[in-house]
Amino acid sequence: MNIALAHTNKKNRFQKRKWLPYLLVSPYIIFVAVFVLFPVIFSFILTFHKWNIIAPMKFIGVDNYTRLFQDRLFWISILNTLKFLLLHIPLQLAVALFLAVLLNQKIKAVSFFRASFFMPVIVSGVVVTILWQQLLGYDSGIINRLVTAMGISKVGWLVNPDVAIYSIAVMATWKNVGLYIILFLVGLQTVPTQYYEAAKLEGATKWQQFYHITLPMINPTIFMVVILSTIGGFSLFIEPYIMTGGGPLNKTLSAVLYIYKQAFQYYNMGYSATLGFFYAFMIMLVVVIQKRVIEKEV
Amino acid sequence: MVYPFLKNFLSCIFFYITIISCNNKTDTNKELLFWCSNNKDEITFSKNATDNWNKLFPGSSVHMQPIPEGQSSEEVILAAVVGKTTPDIYANMWQGSVEMYAQANVLIPLDTLKGFLDFIHQRCDSNVIKEITSSDGHIYQVPWKVNPIMTIYNKTLFTQNKINDVPKTYTAYQQAAEIFKNNNKNSQPPKRFGYTAVKVIWYERLFNFYTLYLAASNGAPLIVDNKAAFNNKPAIEVFRFLQSLYTNEYFSRENSAASSDPFVIQTIATKWTGPWEISYLNRIPDRNFDFDYYVPPVPDDHVGPVYTYADPKNMVIFNTCKQPQVAWEFIKTLIDKNGDLQLLEISGQLPRRKELDTDPFYGDFFTKNPMLLPFAKQIPFVKGIDNCESIVEVLDIISQEYEACVVYGKKTPEKSIEDAEKAVNVLLAANK
Repeated sequence: MNIALAHTNKKNRFQKRKWLPYLLVSPYIIFVAVFVLFPVIFSFILTFHKWNIIAPMKFIGVDNYTRLFQDRLFWISILNTLKFLLLHIPLQLAVALFLAVLLNQKIKAVSFFRASFFMPVIVSGVVVTILWQQLLGYDSGIINRLVTAMGISKVGWLVNPDVAIYSIAVMATWKNVGLYIILFLVGLQTVPTQYYEAAKLEGATKWQQFYHITLPMINPTIFMVVILSTIGGFSLFIEPYIMTGGGPLNKTLSAVLYIYKQAFQYYNMGYSATLGFFYAFMIMLVVVIQKRVIEKEV
Repeated sequence: MVYPFLKNFLSCIFFYITIISCNNKTDTNKELLFWCSNNKDEITFSKNATDNWNKLFPGSSVHMQPIPEGQSSEEVILAAVVGKTTPDIYANMWQGSVEMYAQANVLIPLDTLKGFLDFIHQRCDSNVIKEITSSDGHIYQVPWKVNPIMTIYNKTLFTQNKINDVPKTYTAYQQAAEIFKNNNKNSQPPKRFGYTAVKVIWYERLFNFYTLYLAASNGAPLIVDNKAAFNNKPAIEVFRFLQSLYTNEYFSRENSAASSDPFVIQTIATKWTGPWEISYLNRIPDRNFDFDYYVPPVPDDHVGPVYTYADPKNMVIFNTCKQPQVAWEFIKTLIDKNGDLQLLEISGQLPRRKELDTDPFYGDFFTKNPMLLPFAKQIPFVKGIDNCESIVEVLDIISQEYEACVVYGKKTPEKSIEDAEKAVNVLLAANK
């Protein structure tokens, strides 16, 4: 009898304990449900509605999706973002790798240089952007003062529609390159030194060592840097928002800035959510393609 | 082992919900909440008015607090509306936002309150009342104060450059700008005749295109019967005039730097701005230049008074207010004759009151503050913004064309205005 009772109690306790893991992970599940799942589902529902936040939502079917394909400005913003990425990613990759290789050498004050290059990453994006806005000013910017002192005519870094997006790309590269230098440094330090010694014995030049040993060995890092730069580049916002407001002539209007404007300037929440979903899908597609291409190369 | 824990957990949640519920404002709480702007002078003005009211009517007390901090007051109000945490009374509402809130039924129609119409007709001209009347025929806002946008100019720079008369027409303005440009060819940093914001943000157009459009058109609207009404001669002339200022490099295409005011450092001689600059410039220590104001420039063949943008800020009562009649009685004390004098004396801002410049009640104030008198004289010739729910998008469409035509000269004024008209009509039809 007692044995049977004890067995039942044990079984009950065991059944009760089955809840414990769920209870322990519940804070995380609640967090994800409230701050991730709910906003995503709600945004998806929004894509089928017209809503200005204060008036009740109005169901409009797929009108927002139809509008998206006819919205010239949205496609301009996508094109601008791609232009930005076209310069930003190779530049970021090349500069970060070059500086990482330099900082991987046995030079004096290497820690100081590493810290200096990383500094812009930890400084607020807004501060950096305002600083660059002053540097690149047309009339009063320091860069143009130097340019005119050399007898060259002033450059409209931020006011010339053909130049502005590239100025922003250079600025964004300067801001973020420190992070990628660190990633490359980690990658470079994992390359076994024996490979270089063997190559040296075979008479390989520095360039040959770099091309045939370093590059293949740090391929996973290159892949990571490309993916991170792509995602970071696609979310271009602070720089055009502060420096140019999307101008001149919408040439620096990034997709995220346009989505923001739709949501928080015009209160087109439904349309903005539609743009957001479409854009997220685009980024996913680009990253998947990049992954396939780079994996093939490896 | 688990059940007691679960029981405690649920008890905590229940306790928390109870506390939250107790914190909600109930009908028994009769204190009215009044939000003013977070401008120092306006806080003083509002505090004085609230203290006086609370002394006189302790049974219907008002609690004053500045609007919570945010990127802009418009955003804070919107968040409050969404969260249903609006105050009972809000002073400093931009006129262009009112229609959106009125359509969303979050404002009290003030014309339904006892004594409102009589009071407002005594205080304001009929054109002001017409301007603030919503598309549904109700009035949701109390016209409170205005900051007429005028041309400020650096008198010292004008004298140095031998510009003897203030340039009031487009041709005169261009001629003065040419003189200024030639005289300052080699200056470092470069000097320009004027500056106005170039950013493609809707509100910036209020202080250049819209101000000059009102001046050129004798105060014509942008929207009539839910259709664009700005494809006309004045709008085209304004675009052409402004375009010439950039083509001839009288104005800079650059966004003004956040750190320095080009008017203060004297790299520009003119700009379009409001009376708030007076106290700001007067506070600058060792300022080595004089300044003054005049009306915005108009086309050479302009006839009649010169209108300008009022930059109006009004008061509203939200529908969360349990005692709208009491709220209105309180607002009356802010905008009666004495309240308006207090506003002038404390903040130097102009109440939107008829005959402000000639009323002897305010005579002493204007004798002591002569620079504000031209602004008071301008009050009969100021306009706010059209009552259109999509006015922000309308101004943004104009901004796009403004940048293409005026700043970069990529389009003719005629084509730009026509394209803006088409885009606005598509927008208004879609939002109907």
